[in-house]
Amino acid sequence: MSGSDKEQVEMPRYARSDAEPVSLTTVQHPDGRMSQYPPPELWDDWVEWDSKAWPERVARRYTLVPTICFNCESACGLLAYVDKETFAIRKFEGNPAHPGSRGRNCAKGPATHNQIYDPERILHPLKRVGARGEGQWRRISWQQAIDEISAKMRDSRERRRDGICYHVGRPGEDHYANRVVQSWGVDGHNSHTNICSAAARAGYTFWSGADRPSPDYANAKAILLISAHLESGHYFNPHAQRIIEAQRAGAKIITMDPRLSNTASKSDVWLPSWPGSEATILLAMANYLLQTGSWDREFVRRWVNWKETLEAAPGFVTDAAARAIADEALAAEGGPSFEHFERFLAALYKEFTFERAARESQVDEERIREAAQIVAGAGSRVAAHTWRAATMGNRGGWQVARCLFFLNVLTGSVGTEGGTSLNTWNKFVPKTASQPPPLDAWNELHLPVEWPFAFYEMSFCLPHFLAEGRGDIDVYFTRVYNPMWINPDGFMWMGALRDESKIKCHVAMTPTWNESAWFADYVLPMGHAGERHDLMSQETHTGKWIGFRQPVRRVAMERAGKTIERTWQANPGEVWEEAEFWIDLSVAMDPDGSLGIKKWFDSPYREGEVITVEEHFRWIFENSVPGLPEAASKEGLTPLAYMRKYGAFEIVSGNYVPYEDIVSEGGKVLADGSRRAGFETPSGGLEFFSPTLSTWGWPEQQYVIPWTLPSHVRPEAIDCARGEMLLLPTFRLPTLIHTRSANAKWLYELSHKNPVWMHPQDAARLGMQTGDLVKVETEIGSFVDSIWVTEGIKPGVIAMSHHLGRWRLQEGSGVGAGMSSLVELGESGDTEHSLHIVKGGSAWDSSDPDTSRVWWKDVGVHQNLTHAVHPDPISGAHCWHQKVSVRPAGPDDKVGDVRVDTAKSMAVYREWLALTRPATEHSPDGTRRPRWLKRPLKPTEAAYRLPGREAPGSE
Amino acid sequence: MTQNFGFVIDNRSCIGCHACSTACKSENEVPLGVYRTWVKTTEVGAYPDSKRLFQVTRCNHCANPPCVRICPTEAMVLRDDGIVEFDHRNCIGCKACMQACPYDAIYIDPESHTAAKCHYCSHRTDIGLEPACVVVCPEHAIIAGDMADPNSEISRILASEEVSVRKPEQGTEPKLFYIEGDEVNLRPTLTERAPTTFAATDVMALHDEPGPIRIGGTTAGHMVQVGYNAQHQVPWHWPVSAYLVTKGIAAGIVLVLLLLWGVMGHAVDPGIALSSATASLLFIVITSALLVFDLERPERFYYILLRPQWRSWLTRGAVLLIAFSTLTGLWAALEWGASFGLVAQATLSSVRMPLLWLAAPFAVGTAIYTAFLFAQAEGRDLWQSPLLAPHLLVQALLAGAALLAIFWGFGSAADALRPSLLLLLGGLLVADLALLAAEFSRSHATDEAKVAAAAITHGRYARRFRLGVVVAGHLLPLALCFVGAAISTSLAGCFALAGLAVYEWIFVRAPQEVPNS
Repeated sequence: MSGSDKEQVEMPRYARSDAEPVSLTTVQHPDGRMSQYPPPELWDDWVEWDSKAWPERVARRYTLVPTICFNCESACGLLAYVDKETFAIRKFEGNPAHPGSRGRNCAKGPATHNQIYDPERILHPLKRVGARGEGQWRRISWQQAIDEISAKMRDSRERRRDGICYHVGRPGEDHYANRVVQSWGVDGHNSHTNICSAAARAGYTFWSGADRPSPDYANAKAILLISAHLESGHYFNPHAQRIIEAQRAGAKIITMDPRLSNTASKSDVWLPSWPGSEATILLAMANYLLQTGSWDREFVRRWVNWKETLEAAPGFVTDAAARAIADEALAAEGGPSFEHFERFLAALYKEFTFERAARESQVDEERIREAAQIVAGAGSRVAAHTWRAATMGNRGGWQVARCLFFLNVLTGSVGTEGGTSLNTWNKFVPKTASQPPPLDAWNELHLPVEWPFAFYEMSFCLPHFLAEGRGDIDVYFTRVYNPMWINPDGFMWMGALRDESKIKCHVAMTPTWNESAWFADYVLPMGHAGERHDLMSQETHTGKWIGFRQPVRRVAMERAGKTIERTWQANPGEVWEEAEFWIDLSVAMDPDGSLGIKKWFDSPYREGEVITVEEHFRWIFENSVPGLPEAASKEGLTPLAYMRKYGAFEIVSGNYVPYEDIVSEGGKVLADGSRRAGFETPSGGLEFFSPTLSTWGWPEQQYVIPWTLPSHVRPEAIDCARGEMLLLPTFRLPTLIHTRSANAKWLYELSHKNPVWMHPQDAARLGMQTGDLVKVETEIGSFVDSIWVTEGIKPGVIAMSHHLGRWRLQEGSGVGAGMSSLVELGESGDTEHSLHIVKGGSAWDSSDPDTSRVWWKDVGVHQNLTHAVHPDPISGAHCWHQKVSVRPAGPDDKVGDVRVDTAKSMAVYREWLALTRPATEHSPDGTRRPRWLKRPLKPTEAAYRLPGREAPGSE
Repeated sequence: MTQNFGFVIDNRSCIGCHACSTACKSENEVPLGVYRTWVKTTEVGAYPDSKRLFQVTRCNHCANPPCVRICPTEAMVLRDDGIVEFDHRNCIGCKACMQACPYDAIYIDPESHTAAKCHYCSHRTDIGLEPACVVVCPEHAIIAGDMADPNSEISRILASEEVSVRKPEQGTEPKLFYIEGDEVNLRPTLTERAPTTFAATDVMALHDEPGPIRIGGTTAGHMVQVGYNAQHQVPWHWPVSAYLVTKGIAAGIVLVLLLLWGVMGHAVDPGIALSSATASLLFIVITSALLVFDLERPERFYYILLRPQWRSWLTRGAVLLIAFSTLTGLWAALEWGASFGLVAQATLSSVRMPLLWLAAPFAVGTAIYTAFLFAQAEGRDLWQSPLLAPHLLVQALLAGAALLAIFWGFGSAADALRPSLLLLLGGLLVADLALLAAEFSRSHATDEAKVAAAAITHGRYARRFRLGVVVAGHLLPLALCFVGAAISTSLAGCFALAGLAVYEWIFVRAPQEVPNS
């Protein structure tokens, strides 16, 4: 297939209608606004004036179908306007019935339309012709794709339980794909979590068993962010709404970030801390709360494992005074008292003064004090959040999340109104008609013994594991995931993806071209937000909701009385959706049911028949969403029809302090004798001291309690005099979707380049100004980029957004010409790789006239290729920050040039591997991983046994 | 009661996310490269006290909209409900509205080649729906509504909050109000127009040649730099500068001949009359051709007569040009008729001067109406000069005299007239120099005018202005006037005309490069 003769998506056409719009001009709203949306009773048949023909009055007639945005993880509601005659999608607006996004969106919501009508999107299943990565493809039918891939899967499944891998980038749904993988009976789930959020998950889990926070921003008095929630966070738009709402009502926002993010700029207090010093600042704030007595003793006494802490203290405490208090407590008649713990805490953290925090963070002491005072003055209304940022930047970053939650614990703002809840309380994942049993297998390539606490799979080290000969993969699915682009060490990935003895079959499931799909054997086009069924819930606020993503053209066609058997019949070309594909693929894998897979895809409504995607969701809506059947019947609708109409349902709102709920079994028995729901830890309480870390080989003070850990980019590790700096390579813009915006012209128009941000002082030292080229050298290679001189960055730190620098290897194929650079890859020796830009972004001709108007050239620099892997020994997170050398580019350096030596990659990998304390040496019970820690798909207890270790009881 | 729609942008809530920018693109199917609304972003202050300031920027739906006044064809309309609407069906693409708007709110749509801008989503408000940007905004930082309704949200906000508008001194009465509007974003002249890049976006080259590479300016010792802004190209190029010259020549020839023949009493030479009439007609035809050529929709040029908007000086100018063309056309026809013997010399002699005197007011009108047109171009403050009308008249005379000087350097027929012409040319050069001096030494009322004037006298255009206009275009021909020889007369005419052309190019160009957003 070449550029000129390839099929391109047809641009939308809308029909002229004789209908007149319904006027809402007489509708009075108590808030003094006009109407924002058509009223839901008119969604089936809504007439609007065409904006382009205007002021000529040309009527267009639409059916409005709600769906869920697929562009970030927030799962905001969208409302698609589908032309009633042509079934073209006119636009995506917000869905006012959605409890999380409340009818509003960010820039990425409306841009969904670009993705649907992206002329470069893949329209049919493709099979590789020629060698992997050669770029030759043949169009095949879905049936052929399913037949061939399912045969390979069946063959693998018959031989082993770890030969199939479903590697997911953006899940964009809850539980469906996981259930499918579980039905295959293989330990096959792999994710992007360890380049994203592993460290924060670890920090929150050690405290509470839940792996992420869910702050009640709207009601907070102090909002403490170590992320950029007003532009990019988990969950950007829903959170940004509530954060600003609170600020307008008097809340103060504190943001820690070495870069002036939009969030930092809107904050009341910006703490531009040196990366790695965040925990010190947080502990200084904790120390302030402890020293001034402005903490919630009763909450801590009630929920924190203080007695256990004091009992274990002699084993870890280094401070003599604290040690003495612990000894005194343990010797006391009647055992340790809470008063001992109070004194113990105060002694333990007294070293974390504002002065020390200011020194380590290079932030003005008064600012840190001001932040501490705001927190101290907010009572139990402290909404705090960290997700990626510092936790994922630094070695030991998981302690940042733990120290942050320590402030929630001290202020008693756990689960309170205006405080910080945990995701498990605010996220709702309904049960399905049938649930396959836990798998009885352990995939060593996903969770090797070196990282017993990894949250979760050590995904970004997969090529290194393969290079070490740890295993191979029979069928490797990448799903909305571009591993060789987004992961560090992309040339290692390229080596793995090319090696057919290691990755025997690679199936890329993606709506659009990406660099990794180029190295696939099959490329299967899957739909965007308005082209698929999924169910999603996110802990956007204190409440629980589900959102229903729908293939809006299919729904519109069915409303018009058409029969659609498979969603690809309604989508552009043959673009399909996973939910249906997985059913067909899984059944094809086990046609006679002998593998025990097929039965999980039986229809709950039609005996002996295969389930349809509609039946799957119908059963859920009818049987496992509390309140939905009642709400539906009130409107005279079936639960399915209700969800098809509204696209979202709120199950609970205002779900505060659920851990205090009285329960009859499980939970935690408190000192007052009551049995409460408690937390998901082994003790049922909040674990200040972590017995888990202590018994699994990390008994030192800096691991077992909230404490600071030295980052790999701490100031002492960086020699500014030698031109060394800290590269913060991960910041996000509000206008882009990680690396997946290259099919959204309106987003690229707003932001298409990622220059290196540099403080004027550093620029002056290097004799450079905005637009000049720098060469940035990492541990394993270098890249060349232009600089943006700005007062919005900490001196000594440089930063780049992580979105940009997409590339293609062929003209006319791959990522669109306006959104990617045409590059040449070079190799010399066994390990030296280079990437060179032949041509930057440019206008091109397509079915969309807009592509001929692309006016920008710089589409960014692919920095991740030059990052070595930095797996944190505890959380397994890739620690993104890079120590780099920065100097003006030489005369031969061109923008976008990348050089990497993968021999160095492996050396750095081994350095970090050596930091681990493997389960084989430290497991207290012969298992691979503490069983109480989460895994996306938890296998059987037996699967946790380390090879050669007996189960307890048989000793 | 009549509605009066307006906007409030609450900068306290705006997080600079650009949801409004893409929602507008989606709602109105706006092509790449142009924006109806965007979020201007400026970085101010020194680390660690730096800030990023956002400003949703778009049409202000002025109560006194200059774009409506200048539009020759009613393609820009002030609706009864206060919305400034555009109608692509009427637009001829003259881009005058883009010159009239002091806010860079208008663009030419690359598909329809007609003017477009924020129209308050009037196709939505007419059925009772808020504009798309208001609905999408995560922070409800954009408030739309009827300011005439005391119960509307916008009225309540305006009653209680302090607000500011962009460039109130323009007298346009903007109806887009900012809460906590910041000077740095409100006043575009505080930052450089021609940065090399934005923070995450390439810059469209504003100049044909590399511009100044400094980004941002320095205010009170702090960096001020624009991180993002929608980019605007110069709407009027060489055809407009050239039109100023050609219509000057056409009108000037008539006026200079009237001075020589009618006032100074020189005898009429039929050869000179024939060539002059031909030249005048030729240049007025070229003038019209240039004007049509510069339209984005040239095939619609006649709309200016079919659906005229009489307050526009483009419309009025068109009528003047037509009247003047008709009279010069008649004159030339008579001269050619006489040379072919179709018209009696006596008849011609008796009607020539009355005809020229009749043409005179139209010649003056042709020369100076542009001053009133440029005065309507309220987005270009340097053009708002009280000296422009006399200046254009002098320039027209100068252009006419210069062209005649070129002709009269050759051939003996003009020998008798040459001294008077040189006297006239010299006098006009001195007068024009005086007017230039007055124009650029007067104190300009606004930043925009100051910036444009500085670009001409001290900045980007200074070299061309000083050497090309003052020295080569005035001093040199003035000196040549004293030589008095045939060839030096032609040379003086050439230099004077070239100097005028360079000046018009600079004068048209420089004010358009001053940022309006």
